[in-house]
Parts: sequence; C-alpha cells; structure tokens
Amino acid sequence: MSDTFERVKKVTAELLRIDESKITENSRFVEDLGAESVQSIELVATFEEEFGIEMDENEALAVKTVGDAVRFIDNILKNKK
Amino acid sequence: MAKLTKEQIETLIKNRCYADDWNKIQVADGIKIDRLQDCVFKGEIKIGKLEGRITLEDGIERVCGIYRAKLNNVSIGDNCYIADVRGWISNADIDDGVVIENVGDIKCTEETTFGNGVPIEVLNEGGGRELKITKNTSAQIAYLNVLYRDKKNLIEKLDKIADKFAEAFKRKKVYIGKEARIINSLSLINVYVGEAAEISGAQHLEEGTIDSSKEAPSVVGNGVVAEKFIIQKGASVKEGAMVFSSLVGEGTKIGEQFSAKASVFFANSEGFHSESCSAFCGPYSVSHHRSTLLIAGLFSFYNAGSGTNQSNHMYKLGPIHQGILERGCKTGSFSYLLWPSKVGAFSVVIGKHYANFDTSDLPFSYITDEDGKSIITPAMNFFTVGTVRDGEKWPARDRRKNKNKLDLIIFDVLSPFTCQKMIRAVRILQELYDKTAKGEEYVKYNGINIKRVLLKTNKKYYQLILSKYFGDVLLKRMKKTNASKISEILKTDSKGVAGNNDWVDICGLLCARERVNKLIADIENEKINDFEKLQNELEKIYNSYEADEWNWVLQNYKEYTGKEIKDDIESLLASWKEASIKLYDMVLNDAQKEFVGNTRTGFGIDGNQDADFEAVRGKYETNKFVKQLLAKKEEVEKIYNDLKTKI
Repeated sequence: MSDTFERVKKVTAELLRIDESKITENSRFVEDLGAESVQSIELVATFEEEFGIEMDENEALAVKTVGDAVRFIDNILKNKK
Repeated sequence: MAKLTKEQIETLIKNRCYADDWNKIQVADGIKIDRLQDCVFKGEIKIGKLEGRITLEDGIERVCGIYRAKLNNVSIGDNCYIADVRGWISNADIDDGVVIENVGDIKCTEETTFGNGVPIEVLNEGGGRELKITKNTSAQIAYLNVLYRDKKNLIEKLDKIADKFAEAFKRKKVYIGKEARIINSLSLINVYVGEAAEISGAQHLEEGTIDSSKEAPSVVGNGVVAEKFIIQKGASVKEGAMVFSSLVGEGTKIGEQFSAKASVFFANSEGFHSESCSAFCGPYSVSHHRSTLLIAGLFSFYNAGSGTNQSNHMYKLGPIHQGILERGCKTGSFSYLLWPSKVGAFSVVIGKHYANFDTSDLPFSYITDEDGKSIITPAMNFFTVGTVRDGEKWPARDRRKNKNKLDLIIFDVLSPFTCQKMIRAVRILQELYDKTAKGEEYVKYNGINIKRVLLKTNKKYYQLILSKYFGDVLLKRMKKTNASKISEILKTDSKGVAGNNDWVDICGLLCARERVNKLIADIENEKINDFEKLQNELEKIYNSYEADEWNWVLQNYKEYTGKEIKDDIESLLASWKEASIKLYDMVLNDAQKEFVGNTRTGFGIDGNQDADFEAVRGKYETNKFVKQLLAKKEEVEKIYNDLKTKI
C-alpha cells in the first residue's frame, strides 16, 4: 500500500477514533466511517497539514472515499513537483 | 340620547328588567326597547341603537340587544349583542357592534392604565433592567431601554415617555372596541380591548391591554390566564397559555400551555408548550417544545430545540446572570448554556456547555461539546441549508397585517453587522494560528476552544463569505442606481452616514452606531419626547439602511483588501463569482445529505425503502429548495459574464 494511503488511514483513524484496520480504499468517509459534517472538514484540514497542500473546497466535496482522497492528494503532490 | 319614557320603562319592567334608578338610564332615539330583556341596571347607563343581527362563527344569527345581563355604570354603542352575563359588566364603555356572550365579569375596579407602564424585570431576573411595557413599545424601544442601562439619562427619558403614555391612557372604565367579541370567558378585570379583538374561552385576564384593529385583529383563546400584560396588534394567545407581566408583540403566537413571566416577545415570535422567564425575545424567536426554558436571555431570529435550557443562578447572589444569543442562533435538543455567555450571530449550539464564553466575534459557528469541552467551529453554519432557508423564510412569514408596524426589521443574513465581525474574525483566526504551536490540538478564545487544525480553513470560509457579500452589495447598488457609468455607481451615498461606523443590531434593526448615538442624544435632550416621535426617528433609521450599507461597503472593502472598489472591480466580481459558486455547492452538498445514507433509515418498513422514501420526501433533483439553489448558481455565471463585458 502506498505511503499516501497509510498516512491518510492514520489521520482518518485518529480523527474519527476508529481502528485503522477497519479502513480500506473503498471506505466511504460518511457512510462507512461515520464522519460528520465538522469531522469531514477537519479531515480535509488535517490532510492539508499532513501533506503540506491546499485542497479546493469544491474539489474536496467530491472526495467521498479513502481511495478518492489518496488519488486526489497524490495528484496535487505530483503537480507540485 | 334621551332618558327613558314612561312607556319604555313599562316595557322594560314587563321584560323582567330592573333598575336602581330609571332616571339614570339614557337610550338612543328610536331604540327597539323590547330588545332589552332580563337585565339589571345600576349607576349611569347609556345604550345606543339595537338594530340588525350579528352572525358569529357558529353560524347562528344573534338579534342585537341586551339579554340576561347585569350592568353597572356602562355605556353601550350601537347594534351590540350582549347576552348571558353571569357576573357584572361594571364601569365599561362598549363601542359599536360588540358581541359579549356567556361571560362572568367584565369590570373596571379602579382607575388603571391597563398594564401600560408596568415595569417588568426582563433579561435579568434579579432586576436592574426593568422595562415599562406599553402597547406602543417596539422591539427597538425595548432594546434601548433594557440593554443601555449605563446611559442613565436615556433610561430616565424613556421611562418618562412610557409614564406619560400610561398616564394619558389611564381610565376609570374599561373600553371594549368596535366589533370586538368576548365569548365564553370567565373574567376580564381592568382590561382594555381593542377594535375587532376576539376573546373566546379566556379563563382570567387582569390588568392588561389587548391592542387590536380590523386589519390586524388580536385573539385571546381558550383557558388563557394573563395578568399585567400587553398584547399588541395581530397577536394570538390561546390554548391555556399563562402570561404574567409580559408583552406579546405584533403577529406573535403564544399557545399550547406556554407559560411566560416577565418576558417580551416581539414581531412574529412563537411560544408553544414551553416556558419563559425574564426572556427578551426579539423578532422571530421561536420555542415550540415541551421541557424548553428560555430564561434571562436575549434572543432573536431564534429557534429553540426541545429541552433547550439555560441557568442564570449560581446559588451565590441569586438569579443575576444573563445571556445573549445574537440574531439567527439555534439551540439543539437538550442543549444547555450556563449564563453568562454570549453566542455569536447565526450560530448553532449543540450539547451542554458549562463554560462561560463569548463567541460574538465568530458568527455562523457550530458550538458543540466533546467530552464536556465546549468547542467552536467558526463559519460552519453558513453553508447549511438551514441558514439559507432561514434567510428566505423570515420575510415571507411576516404575519403582521397592520400598516404602521412597530418593530422595524432588517432581515439580511449578510450585512455590515455580520460582515464587520467576519472581517475581525479573519484577523483573529490568523493571529491564533500564528501564535499556536503545531502540537496543540485546541486553542482557547474567549472561554471556548477552537481546533487548531481548522483555524486556516475557518478563516478561508469567512473570506469566501465576505467575497460573496461585497459582490452582492455591489450588484444591488448597480441595480438601484441604474447608472450607466461605473464612477456614478461607486460614489458614496450622500444620504448615508460615514462608512467607518460600527454596526449594531437594535433587536432586528441593523444600523450604524452613529444613527443610534444621535437617536439617544435626541431622546436625552427631549427633542424626542413621545412614542410617535421616537417611532418616526426609528423609521428614518430603517429607511437609511441601504445608503448606510453601501457607504460601509465602500469604506470597508478598502480597509479589508487595501484597494478601492473602483480600482479593483474586476477582481471583486471574479472573487464574488468564485465564492458564490463554492458556497452554493457547499449548501447543495449539505442538502444532498438529507437524501442519502442513514436518512433513509425507517423508511420502507416492510420493504421498498427507496420507493417509500421518495414517496414521502421526494428526490434531491426535484426538491424545490435544491432547484432554486441550482438556478441561483446558474444565474451567478450569467450575471458575471454580462457584467464582465459591460465593465
């Protein structure tokens, strides 16, 4: 599994107070992992800090699963280079 | 009017009427005397014509007259129907067309002001903020009187205006206004009843005024008990409500056993099932549910979830604490606030809060509790369906039908009042971010905790909202001035005050502080010395909103961005477009949550969950609110493209 995925998993588990083992690429933040409105925004903010990036609000709305988040972050990091 | 003739007296005696002294009775010329039956007359009596019939809501026609009634010192206008007065109508002036049926007592026991001028301990249960309620007390007048207590001269003059009014209103007889209806009611003692008021099934009313008019009739219904009260035009108090030392404002509905003590409720407020004590409820304050208490707080454009509660008493010096919820707040089910606290505009309070905090610098926030810790997430509540819908629903739900409305209301969710806070909030959040170490999970601000990781995001959200607001106001200005040249549009409005004013919310009336200061000065020097002049000046302030707002925007855009609008108009509009679309998308995302996932729990009880859900709730795509928002989003693009070419 990619480093990005591991880091996303760690952040998600800490913030949502769930076991990392329950998080897969297909896990939906809201429906499967129970992220509420404020937690969703907190996740975005924590990803931004963790990876040193800025996520556009509209693009962040489209991130529904852990896999979406990984791909989104990887894309930003790639463009940054 | 003439004294009774011998023949009239004979008819009255034949109809089982009795008088202490027939000479004290005067009747209208040509009166149908046989329409007086089974009556007892004491003291001075005057009776107008008794012609025609009145049909009430039960569809039964009553023949105008006086039947089975005991009258002491009463004058009655033309074409009234009075029947089955089990007690006495005593010391009363009854106007034309009145219906009184099946009542106990309607009396005036002494010279009285009918509740006008009665001081009530509103907002602070322990005293110190007494308000003399009158039928002309508006939300704004009450606010100045209750909240500006440090201005002793102002308070003295406002009290003087109230006393002067009460003195002029004083009478030794109750007044029952034209075409009022008092039916099936037990006792009205020292109660002034306005035109077209409907009192039906009231239990006991004492020392009060029911202001009413044909265009805005007031209603007092079943089982109501009220003492020392003012009910303003178009209000309704029904269903076992108990109202003590309180004012019920225009268009307000109180019912379903609501209990109010030392409280005021201004335009379009609603109180059902719950309780209020020393509550200052500005316009559109709503409490619908059992187990909800509003105590010692200032509320407006407010919704109380069931079981909402506050404490104002710390068992030291008594119930002396108070709280402020700025306009637009909501408290969730079983939320609790320990006073003193102040909650910023348009915020949602969820959970129980035992800390005393002040979040007035951070409007549109979520205030939640996590493991007993009070946490604020600034700006979160702007992107919710609830806030957008509230902004639209309040003006649409103005029940007031009277032409000259007492409470002056600016409904704008975004205004100089909220935006000045957000400009400050941007700076505050940046400062907090800069000075807080990365390892810290929370940062404390005015008694509440903010998650450090969200500081930048929350700041960004406020910036988005400000971008939308500046653009919205510019577009409004363009439409209003309809000028062809940008330079004409961007001029300062000569009718407005300086743009560097702070703005305040005078209980629904948003205005520049300079305007309030001038008003206060005029009251203090008695240039304004009665309610009429006071209301006129408040209306001038109300009418100056747009001019003042525009000047504020011109000044504050410059301070906020470092650029004048005239030099930055393309960037302003581009930011407006981007912000508006982002904000609409976030609200639409919030709306979408109402149609997916767990929201379908419980539907399709025996199968067909989706079909059942859609039959009851509809689909996201066809939802009226969603469609409106999508249309607004499209319009943003269109407006921007049009303006871009013009500019």
